[in-house]
Amino acid sequence: MVRNVADGNSDAVTKLWDEAVALGWSGFTVPEPFGGTGFSFEDLIVLIEEAGAALAPIPIIESAITSSVLDKYAADEIKSELLPQIATGDVLITPAVIERDASWVITTPHMAGTASDASVVLSGEKRFVNFADQATHALVTANINDELALILVPVWNNEGVSKTSLKSTSGVPVANLTFNEVAVTASNVVAIGDAAKLAIDELVSLGAVARAAQLAGLGRKVLEISTEYAKSREQFGKPIGTFQAIQHYLAEMATTVKQVNHLVYAAASSSSQDSYSAEYVSRAKIAASEKIPEVCWKAHQSHGAIGFTWEHDLHLYTRRAIAWKTDYGDSTFHKHNLSRLLGL
Amino acid sequence: MRFEYSAEESEFHSKLSRFLDENLPADWHGPPDESRDDHWQLYQDIRHGLANNGWLVMSWPSEYGGSDASPLMNTVFAEEMAYRRAPGHDRFGTRMIGPTLMRFGNDEQKAKYLGEIARGEIQWCQGYSEPNSGSDLASLQTRAVSDGDNFIVNGTKVWTTLAHRADMMFMLVRTDPEAAPHKGISLLLVDMHAPGVQVNPIINMAGGHSFNQVVFDNVKVPKENLVGELNDGWRVGMTVLNFERSGIDYVGWARKALDELVEWVSSDECPLDFSTQYSDVRSRIAELDTEVKSARFMCYDVAWRQGQGDVPIAEASMSKLSATEAYVAVLNYGLELLGMYGSLEPGSEDSELQGRFLKMRLFYTSGPILAGTTEIQKNIIAQRGLALPRK
Repeated sequence: MVRNVADGNSDAVTKLWDEAVALGWSGFTVPEPFGGTGFSFEDLIVLIEEAGAALAPIPIIESAITSSVLDKYAADEIKSELLPQIATGDVLITPAVIERDASWVITTPHMAGTASDASVVLSGEKRFVNFADQATHALVTANINDELALILVPVWNNEGVSKTSLKSTSGVPVANLTFNEVAVTASNVVAIGDAAKLAIDELVSLGAVARAAQLAGLGRKVLEISTEYAKSREQFGKPIGTFQAIQHYLAEMATTVKQVNHLVYAAASSSSQDSYSAEYVSRAKIAASEKIPEVCWKAHQSHGAIGFTWEHDLHLYTRRAIAWKTDYGDSTFHKHNLSRLLGL
Repeated sequence: MRFEYSAEESEFHSKLSRFLDENLPADWHGPPDESRDDHWQLYQDIRHGLANNGWLVMSWPSEYGGSDASPLMNTVFAEEMAYRRAPGHDRFGTRMIGPTLMRFGNDEQKAKYLGEIARGEIQWCQGYSEPNSGSDLASLQTRAVSDGDNFIVNGTKVWTTLAHRADMMFMLVRTDPEAAPHKGISLLLVDMHAPGVQVNPIINMAGGHSFNQVVFDNVKVPKENLVGELNDGWRVGMTVLNFERSGIDYVGWARKALDELVEWVSSDECPLDFSTQYSDVRSRIAELDTEVKSARFMCYDVAWRQGQGDVPIAEASMSKLSATEAYVAVLNYGLELLGMYGSLEPGSEDSELQGRFLKMRLFYTSGPILAGTTEIQKNIIAQRGLALPRK
């Protein structure tokens, strides 16, 4: 399944997501009055961690963070129209906030919005949009009369939106979206000005905690695979797990996975529908982004040649770790955030 | 040791560099992919050109077609070839089986094979590792049984680089299953086109075909293809590994990657804006440059000592260890700098630097594993270099 999707079978993602929706996964962060379960982000993080361990190619993060932001910032009419449809899986909203400069410092997007009385017309390009094949809407950052704005744009079958697929190590459908004079009604502007700044910070922060949780799950799984291999592979007449060099690798990996796990859960418990601690978020993403790829490389080293093959699953984890470590801010981005929060 | 090229080394470096300018395609970035027919053709053409210039085996004695060039000159050669990511540097022939044959081969073997290697006409591959024998090579199981004028070989070799392009393999086989593991091994030269040799590709994690599984099913190998004494193959075969163990290729690759990163970060076409973190970038690039250059001196020191007649075993391991670690550090930082673009596969729309850094990082996962893992190198440094007691 994971390989099938990574090879470009986008339909398989749609099918798997339908099954997840049937289990109620799309409605976890949708409040009960809108047909969801109204779980906190902290509750959801356990599921996201497992999705990371399984490399599940489903838009659980994209769905959860966009519905959280919508619930908090969008106009009532948008909420009452879309939140129930998110819970039923008829609507999937994905963030489209990155442009050619690939920066997560989102202050002055090149995407231009022209506002008139009742509508906004958008033109520009967004890059690295996850699940672009499945999304019905994109949550887009734009510049309207020199003001930062976060806008909900229908992208499904929208003639003004063209898609260029990318081949990414994330193993899910990723694309650039080009918006050519796409008009939306004014109520689709989820937030503008200072509110948009807060909403985007929240979107990126929740995304960062979620990616960190996925990385934590991935690291735990890679440790399990490597530990099993060390017990079964024999050289010099005994399992390689009896050699101190291999034991040290696995011990380092285990310690790292625990460290990241604590930081992720601290960040998740500080994140609710109402608020989150930016310091905790950045610590979790710094640690996950820097240390979990290291866990993967150590796993390769402890596997020897077999872990270097396409046939072995290990590289699938390594590829995802490479994609996730930069998504929603790499360690450099979060180090800047954290040092600022620490008063530097 | 010296820290700069001599006049002779400088002149050779310029000549080689000009030769590569003329013979590599104008837009060549590498790394070469020998499973592609056009790259394989280029490999053969360059190997031939290097031979015609007298460079391919220049470190060999003149009686075998070389020019007695010093190990230092050979290091200059290897570094430049790696820096240009040039194909055509036949390490298996020139650095491994060639020198082994000079020491252990008989006159007929030397006459036949050394000339072919020196002229750049033949491709060798190395048949050592097996599915159950990696670091513990002496446990190898491939059997060679005496049958009149031939050995009959059965078994499987694995991780065999270039087996799909090779004419010949030098391989370790078990010829006495009753003897202690190290005592019952012999080194044979095997025609890759002989009946019963089957080459199965193994796709690596970077998605390329660089190595293979090679299955031997009742393959007849003439007894004249035994190198050295019967059951003395461990000693003969380990000579190869000592030739193999140098870090200079990694130094060349690391320098190239670092130069590419500096150029990309500074270029007007770079889509990313590093202005707010420029001091971090500068400091990290300087750190990496220092790491790469210190590894480079280690490699040249090994070559210099070899030129003095020493056998610097621990130093060779140190050079491989430092160089592979420096190269991996450069590639890791490359992916970090590339940010979101770092996760785009080669061939993707809008990839930067053609997705090369991802491909190289995934491929060189093998660097600290092949030709003696990092762990094995550390054991050698501790035991041979520091004379620490063996368990």
